[in-house]
Amino acid sequence: MVSAESSTSDEHLVEATIGGDDYAFAELTRRHKSRVFGVAARFARDASEIEDICQEVFVQAYFKLRQFRRDSPFEHWVMRITTFKCYDYLRKRRRDGPAISADVLLESGYEPSAPEAPSPHPDLERLHAAMAQLSPKERLIITLLELEERSVQDIASLTGWSAANVKVRAFRARATLRKLMENQK
Amino acid sequence: MNELTPQPGDDRLDALFAQARALRPDTSAAEYAFETRLMARLKETRPTDSIWAMVSWRMIPFFAICVMALMVWHEQVVQQTEAAEQLAYVENPNAFEAWNSFN
Repeated sequence: MVSAESSTSDEHLVEATIGGDDYAFAELTRRHKSRVFGVAARFARDASEIEDICQEVFVQAYFKLRQFRRDSPFEHWVMRITTFKCYDYLRKRRRDGPAISADVLLESGYEPSAPEAPSPHPDLERLHAAMAQLSPKERLIITLLELEERSVQDIASLTGWSAANVKVRAFRARATLRKLMENQK
Repeated sequence: MNELTPQPGDDRLDALFAQARALRPDTSAAEYAFETRLMARLKETRPTDSIWAMVSWRMIPFFAICVMALMVWHEQVVQQTEAAEQLAYVENPNAFEAWNSFN
């Protein structure tokens, strides 16, 4: 069993996990969960949805660990899985629509206990509302580029799209977002 | 800010993005004991018959060698039977014909 020391390299922990040491994978998870949670929280706002995305990421990482090629750091590989899982989440959300509409809630007799407090950042709420209307690909690009401050090359590497493709998509996504924000005025 | 050519109206958008970046969501509560929950889920998700599946796959070369050995053995038995039949025919053709017609 690998001791969960911070000095142990990720590569060593990966080897240990493949060898059947689950404690090594728990240590890998502990090291990288903050980054994964941070990215997931940019896409999902509900805590249970964020938890679901992160669990999906690490479950996939665990079962596909043998496919991890050591040509890039483990963190980059996990972030790649995270990007795909967030994209899947956006697509699923777009396909399924909101989980339950306000009309259905009111018809079922639901009464909010207290009036919702006004948001301390109304402009940000408008930005999030506009971003929610973007297509999954547009939202993915905008989030990674503008909120996570990833470079075009980095996004290309994470998504598997070409750098030129990322630039074009980002340009269009910004234009769409600008239009959506203007319509909200 | 980013690597794209700025467009009119981007300043306001950039300001909003900067504001959103500064307000990084706090996920510390969700992160608490995440490893424990994950390992519990992995334990559940891991298929119980994975050992058998793994053993079966690893036994494939052994089974292939067994099949090939059986084929070689079968071929040898057929050849020996044919040789014995030919010998029997040469030594006593009448008896061989009678035996064949009886069977």
